[in-house]
Amino acid sequence: MLKKITAMIVAMGLVMSVSACGNTQVQTPTTPASDAAPAVATPTDTKSILEKYAGAGTIGNWGLGNEYELYALLAKYNLPLDFLSQDFTMDGFDDNSIGLASAMTYNELGLVKNSYDGGYNYGDTVAYIDMNDEGVAMLEDNLFTTKTFAEANPETVKAFVYASMKGWKYASENPAEAAEIVYNNGSSVSKEHQLYMAEEVAKLVDLSVPVGTMNDTAMQQTLDIAKQYVKLDDSAAATKLAALTLDDIRSQAYWTDIANAATFTPEKTDVSVQLKWLPQAQFMGYFVAKDKGFYDEVGLNVTIVSGGGDISETTAVSNGTVDFGVTWVSNLITSNAAGMELLEVAQVYQKSGLVLVYKK
Amino acid sequence: MKKTKISFSGVLLPLAFGALVLIIWQTELLHKIIGTNTFTLPLPTTIIRIIGENLDSISANAFDTIEVALIGLVLGSIIGYLISILAAIFPKWGSGGLKVIALLSAIPIIALAPVITNLTKDFSTIAPERSMFAKIVLVTLLSAVSMSVGVYRGLTDLKPFSEDLLQTYAATKFDIFIKLRLPNSVSYIFTALRVSIPTAIISTLIAEYFAEYITGVGRQIRENIITSQYSTAWAYITVACAIGIIAYMFLVLAERLYKKKKHKI
Amino acid sequence: MKLKKILFSSTFITIVWIVLLCSIWELEALHIEQIKRTPEKVFPHLMQIFESIADPKIISNDQTSIELVLTNAYATLERAGIGFLIGALSGFILALLMKFSGIIEKIAFPYLMLIQMIPILGMAPIVFAITQDIGVSRIVISGVLTFYPVAANTLAGLKSVSAENENLFRSYSANVFQTYTKLYIPTSIPFLFTGLKISAPLAITASILVDTLQGGVGLGCLLSQSLKGGMSPFVFWQIIFLSAAIGILSLQVMVIAEKIIMSHKVRWNREKNKNLI
Repeated sequence: MLKKITAMIVAMGLVMSVSACGNTQVQTPTTPASDAAPAVATPTDTKSILEKYAGAGTIGNWGLGNEYELYALLAKYNLPLDFLSQDFTMDGFDDNSIGLASAMTYNELGLVKNSYDGGYNYGDTVAYIDMNDEGVAMLEDNLFTTKTFAEANPETVKAFVYASMKGWKYASENPAEAAEIVYNNGSSVSKEHQLYMAEEVAKLVDLSVPVGTMNDTAMQQTLDIAKQYVKLDDSAAATKLAALTLDDIRSQAYWTDIANAATFTPEKTDVSVQLKWLPQAQFMGYFVAKDKGFYDEVGLNVTIVSGGGDISETTAVSNGTVDFGVTWVSNLITSNAAGMELLEVAQVYQKSGLVLVYKK
Repeated sequence: MKKTKISFSGVLLPLAFGALVLIIWQTELLHKIIGTNTFTLPLPTTIIRIIGENLDSISANAFDTIEVALIGLVLGSIIGYLISILAAIFPKWGSGGLKVIALLSAIPIIALAPVITNLTKDFSTIAPERSMFAKIVLVTLLSAVSMSVGVYRGLTDLKPFSEDLLQTYAATKFDIFIKLRLPNSVSYIFTALRVSIPTAIISTLIAEYFAEYITGVGRQIRENIITSQYSTAWAYITVACAIGIIAYMFLVLAERLYKKKKHKI
Repeated sequence: MKLKKILFSSTFITIVWIVLLCSIWELEALHIEQIKRTPEKVFPHLMQIFESIADPKIISNDQTSIELVLTNAYATLERAGIGFLIGALSGFILALLMKFSGIIEKIAFPYLMLIQMIPILGMAPIVFAITQDIGVSRIVISGVLTFYPVAANTLAGLKSVSAENENLFRSYSANVFQTYTKLYIPTSIPFLFTGLKISAPLAITASILVDTLQGGVGLGCLLSQSLKGGMSPFVFWQIIFLSAAIGILSLQVMVIAEKIIMSHKVRWNREKNKNLI
């Protein structure tokens, strides 16, 4: 202990020069590699890749409720459930302190690969493990409200879901235009990254099924993984989590297939929706629905509230500060376990967007 | 006789007030007054139950937080004190230097933390070590700033006549420094610590948000707030407050002892 | 002789310190440039940051990086200003109450200290639940975080009134209101400013911190977004420089305000004395 402290004191004066004792090879910016190795890891090498980085202790994730898919994957390969915390940046991946980093296909993966502002320009020299291929995918972005609000304003909820899904369909079919719309509505990222994001998000919205469909198998898998890997310190919440069923977290009663024309008589016409993060193409459906007048068509006046802070969308919706929210199914599950009464009313992403990226 | 009476009411009154708050909190009267529910503001009994259920993990996290805060505070205070002495010996250059140092405190911690994490990455290949180092560097920096600014004020603000008096005794500048300024500075260390103890604790908690290795009371608070586990978050908030209060009580005690000793001399 | 005067002027000394600081920065930046793959994200050269300020490239919202930073800074500054005013005012009033009643002081003072110890993230959901509005919550929290120095210093000022003066007022049988407006409050003004000088930069950093409670406009929001990427990494560094500059500036504003008010006070006292004569 004392030795450790002494070492720290000595090193503190030398912050500027200590760097010399670490990994100091100068890495030249990568040029896109010519080798034809595929970007997605095949099942056979997933095991060896995971073992390699788990052994080195350099698997990264953000934590804060984003780690359950990673836990399920590590458990599948009998590896210890440990990870390093990734901060907002991918700097840890860049400087090799994190070898296998968590990334969303539509966001961090693009920053790692691409060369535009804020990107790390790794091009094809990186590959990734896809949660969907590994059978540990959890459902992510959905649309939810509180049970109380849904019961009191069923027509409003139906109208909002209908118009939003219409927006999502349009956006997924026309990602370039959707990116432009988001950009013009107070985007938080550059134009190039927005376009990349829109194209990737479109892949997660499966257009072969009606937009907003809740696939019970996928949803049950999400709930099962959550029950197994969410660790709650509050025993009351843990008991509640273990007893949760799909009917406690979602209802399909408010969803209408947008293939059919529908009219609504909303009880409340001014509604607000809080996003999970700052305005970006991850939420393009809502911006498109607003911009294209889909909300007007069903008689709603919608305010889109930015998320992306420590007061989460689940808290804001539960408080009644906003009427709707966009969150991950796993976040909704833990919130309900803790005592919130939230209700998912539409499932936007049909696949998991989480991948684990590594350098080839 | 009078003195014991003062400290009696000084302790009993706030305690009584605290007990009153606890009662209206537990009976949910407080929730009615501020318009919240037991979910956002859990009952004291729930908080205590969770602390009891997770004593092991809570004390492990608390230990990591205290370790960082304490090492950072001690190192920072020593560095800050030495800087203030140097600044007082060379006042013209010193005050300028302190202004530059104070610049640091004008940068928000949430901006400093990621920069320091990046700059200290090569300290160790073991993540928990370099992560702890990064947190300590941050706490040290901030404690050093508040200590140096606080003590410098003490070293330079002398009672006007005492310096004149020593000068008439033909004391050298060095003598004035040793006999007058240095002893004078000790009470300012306590004043500075009043500011830097809360600073050290809060900055440790925030540094934990950005740290690579997941541990500490601050990280647990954030983790639980974001996943809507308010009861657990409050258990950790209670622990964070307890750490602060205990640290502050030690300070008050040390200050009393010092004053008593000084009084005797 | 003149040269010596220049050499020891405080402006010159400040400049030397700044130059020294800049050279340390540059040395570190050079070092990072050697060892990191993307040095501009870890520790860029000062020149690169300045160049990025002048860069006309549109970052987002049809704004260049510096326009974006300034728009967000304005929002943060506004909230910091309101939070500071509320915090300072309530701190001052509380100090008066604590001076007025020993019981209030004994009850309140330990808890004032305690509020400093509560991690802001813990307070936020409660305040949010009460106010139901993130903007108001931000202002309230930055107010709470800034009022302690004002309350503590003002109380010290109110207590610094000498016993002779108190007796004097008592002998004139001045009422409580007169004693406070003519004696206690004027005496505490310099102490109040000590508190305000500590609080002003604190209000700014607190306001940036509470920005991160929710997305939207504000330096803190932009800070997390710029860290996350998807925009020029220099936005982050511009925020660091700007927030430091605003912090120092807010302190200077308090220094100037103190000078103005103190000179008024002196003049006012002089006139009052003249009338007496």
